[in-house]
Amino acid sequence: MSVSRFALGGLAALTIAGPAAAAPVVGAAAPAFSAVDADGRARSLAEFKGRTVVLEWTNGGCPYVQKHYRSGTMQALQKAAASDGVVWLTLISSAPGKQGYVAPGDEARAWKASTGAGSAELLLDPAGKVGRAYEAKTTPHMYVVDKAGTLVYMGGVDDRPVADPASLKGATNYVAAALSDLKAGRKVATAMSKPYGCSIKYAE
Amino acid sequence: MMAPWASESRRFAFHAPRPNMPPTACAGVLERDGFKWIPVEAPVTLYTLGDRPFPVQMSPSEPERVWVRVMRVLAGLAAVLLLAAPAAAAPVNTGHLTAELVAQSQGIAPGQTIHVALRQKIQQGWHTYWRNAGDSGEPTRIVWTLPPGWKAGAFVWPAPHRQPTGPLMNYGYTGEVLLPMTLTAPSDARPGETAQLKVAASFLVCEEICVPEDAVLDLALPVTAAPAPADARWGGPITQALAAAPGPAGLAAAFGRAGDAVTLAVAGPALKGADVADAYFFPYDGTQFDHAKPQPIERGPQGLTLTLTPGFAFKQAPGPSEVAGVLAIGDKAYEVTAAPGPAPPGAAGLGPPPARVAAPAAPDLGLVLAALFAFGGGLILNLMPCVFPILAMKAAALAGHAHTGSEARRQGLAFGAGVLATFLALAGLLIALKAGGAAIGWGFQLQSPPVVAGLALLMLAVALNLSGVFEVGQSLQGAGAGLAARSGLAGAFFTGALAVLVAAPCTAPFMAPALGWALTQGAAASLAVFAALGLGFAAPFVAAAFAPALLSRLPRPGPWMDVLRKVLAFPMYGTAAWLAWVLTVQAGDMALARVLAAGVALALAAWLLGLAQRRWAQGLRPFAVAAAGVVLGVAAVGAVLWPGYGAPPSAAAGGAQANVPYEAYSPARVAAARAAGKAVFVNFTAAWCVTCQVNERVAFASRGVAEAFRRTGAVYLKADWTRKDAVIAAELARHGRAGVPLYLVYGARGGEGVILPQILTEGLVVRALEDAQGR
Repeated sequence: MSVSRFALGGLAALTIAGPAAAAPVVGAAAPAFSAVDADGRARSLAEFKGRTVVLEWTNGGCPYVQKHYRSGTMQALQKAAASDGVVWLTLISSAPGKQGYVAPGDEARAWKASTGAGSAELLLDPAGKVGRAYEAKTTPHMYVVDKAGTLVYMGGVDDRPVADPASLKGATNYVAAALSDLKAGRKVATAMSKPYGCSIKYAE
Repeated sequence: MMAPWASESRRFAFHAPRPNMPPTACAGVLERDGFKWIPVEAPVTLYTLGDRPFPVQMSPSEPERVWVRVMRVLAGLAAVLLLAAPAAAAPVNTGHLTAELVAQSQGIAPGQTIHVALRQKIQQGWHTYWRNAGDSGEPTRIVWTLPPGWKAGAFVWPAPHRQPTGPLMNYGYTGEVLLPMTLTAPSDARPGETAQLKVAASFLVCEEICVPEDAVLDLALPVTAAPAPADARWGGPITQALAAAPGPAGLAAAFGRAGDAVTLAVAGPALKGADVADAYFFPYDGTQFDHAKPQPIERGPQGLTLTLTPGFAFKQAPGPSEVAGVLAIGDKAYEVTAAPGPAPPGAAGLGPPPARVAAPAAPDLGLVLAALFAFGGGLILNLMPCVFPILAMKAAALAGHAHTGSEARRQGLAFGAGVLATFLALAGLLIALKAGGAAIGWGFQLQSPPVVAGLALLMLAVALNLSGVFEVGQSLQGAGAGLAARSGLAGAFFTGALAVLVAAPCTAPFMAPALGWALTQGAAASLAVFAALGLGFAAPFVAAAFAPALLSRLPRPGPWMDVLRKVLAFPMYGTAAWLAWVLTVQAGDMALARVLAAGVALALAAWLLGLAQRRWAQGLRPFAVAAAGVVLGVAAVGAVLWPGYGAPPSAAAGGAQANVPYEAYSPARVAAARAAGKAVFVNFTAAWCVTCQVNERVAFASRGVAEAFRRTGAVYLKADWTRKDAVIAAELARHGRAGVPLYLVYGARGGEGVILPQILTEGLVVRALEDAQGR
């Protein structure tokens, strides 16, 4: 009995250690993933190889996301990025039945229209597989992948970890900074920051 | 402390009257708390998402700004009205919590510093955040509006709670929380006036969803000539919150990298002997560590070392120069500030604390299962070598009544009652002693030399009685049948009591988990398990007394009974000899001399008593002889019950008894051997534990086991519990055991401790050692 209990303990330790091995590392290859888009088609990171990719975790009900969307700053950044040829993928990892869940089809298509987002795609990750692979914690939580597929930024949108829209004034937007560093061929100056916002409503 | 923009807007959460209500601009006021009007500077939009309403803030349009100005005027009017009311802090309900500003004292003297506190009463199921919110969320923030010259300090944050959600970890508060801070009045404050203090507080309140809520809180505080008395309602709670807040407590701390991990070592007298199994470090800086990862613990003699998963602050050069935060251990919390460097002494070396939930099998037992185990253990106890002589003696008595059924039944019941009463009394004593903080376990009554010596004399007296040296009961009284029957019943009762006293250390295999479980439960559950044990122990004897078929098979009373009685005296002499040996192990050879001398004196006393009894039977009056016997007997008993026993013979911390060399157990020795990559076999034993002694002879003395120890290089440690030992008792308790034996085998490659069965064989030990070599 004792032996099997210890064996179980060992198994549990292995399970816990599992995801840690796949933790995203700045300077290493961004974890590959696939997720469905608003129309329910499977999309993957691999298809954007050779282009700079921004990953943005979002949740329309989160006050921190609203800070960036209601003010229009997120949409402006998305459009500027698009005009530079950057692929902007917005992800939703809320599980079905959890706050912020968006189903593929009309609901997902309506998201883009209602927010006026300039993202290339809205990707849906109801099982949380992509979110967990990237250890995405909050909405918003941002990642930038360069043309070689290397993760060059992960963290918050900016340096003001509050929900108050007034905080946007004078904030340093880390994603904008990373994109302009990449555009200029420089090393990304701020490659990591603490993400802030609401917790991602993962499946239990 | 607080960003300047935070006071610029206030947001309020409220629920939509109907689901799917379209976004509605509703700049204006919210009515709540009766007739109070609260201004909203920025308009609030109700935005529904699914069926959950969300407050969403929008940039005000021009007409809305006009609205806002109108509302500000109204708010100003409301403020004036409020100020006209008696000066008191009014709680504000922001939606999911009620906030108010409260003071430690009824007033403040010029130049004095007192504490005030932001009180949050949070709706059930919702929480607010600590200074480091963890993976998501936002700490509570405030901005003061104070009269000129007044100063307020930062929050004294109480220790937070962990709030895991899915793969994330947050730190915060639920229920009611006080965030104290200092408030200093200027030296030119005028006594008699009332200071109007104002705080704009912003909270992020979360359940599954998060809602930012704000409140403007007022406190009218009278300025007094001298320091004012404590506030009747809040003086106590604020003082308590300050006392409970994490403080430095003189702990030394250092951190260092260990491969991919960061170790945080903390040590100091405050941690000496602390149960650190649930220790947790809450970092102040949210970028230093991965909040959601477990924090493996290594214990030290007066501290601990946590292995933390670094956050991105450690992944960037040059990395943090300081790690600071709160170390929570049980209901205590300490402020820890660590610099890079070697670990302070005493912070490691004792291995990980055994997991409270996973390691012991015992706590998983339910009451019914524990009682069943106890009943089975009680049954087996009848066959134990230390119990058998007593039962044999009783069997002789029962055989004497074999042909009077009712008498046999009464004797059986009296025996059962004696067993039960003694088990319950011992359990009660054990519970009471444990409640008093004593580190004791089952069999504890044999850990005291006077008790062992006293029992040895009692066994000798019983044996002498069986041998016919003297008589007890009717022959002495020489009286009628009624009295004889009564004393016979009392005899049966005390036989039961005696059987329990000597049986207790023979912890039968089934009993260990049950007793271990019982002693960790409440008193009622403990007593129930002990009662089940007693029932199991008494069951065979009582059943026999109630089975006429069984009794009728016994031969009729006759001279053979006297022969049986004298034969059965010898197991009792054996028990007395065994107890004398236990005493030697406990208290050295001087104690042996003492108990042997007392034994001889007792035997002489018994013989004198017997002589007096025989003369009495002849019609003589042998008072002098009887008195001499009684005095001698009392002196013998007194001589062994007198405390003042010596220390156990020092085994020079090791020895080579039998074939396997062993060392004395200590947690540090275990840790050292494991660190050196050796398998460790720990034998928790006691001289009075018969199962342990049988295992010593059967398993450990065998050539195969000695050979296996040599081959595997395993370290053999003995934890001798013959005398009281708090360290050993604690280690037994960690493995869910209340007594010995316990055999633990740690793997050579860091494998966890495996518990072996209580009855060992040579093959079992050899296999365990070979297995330990490879894990």
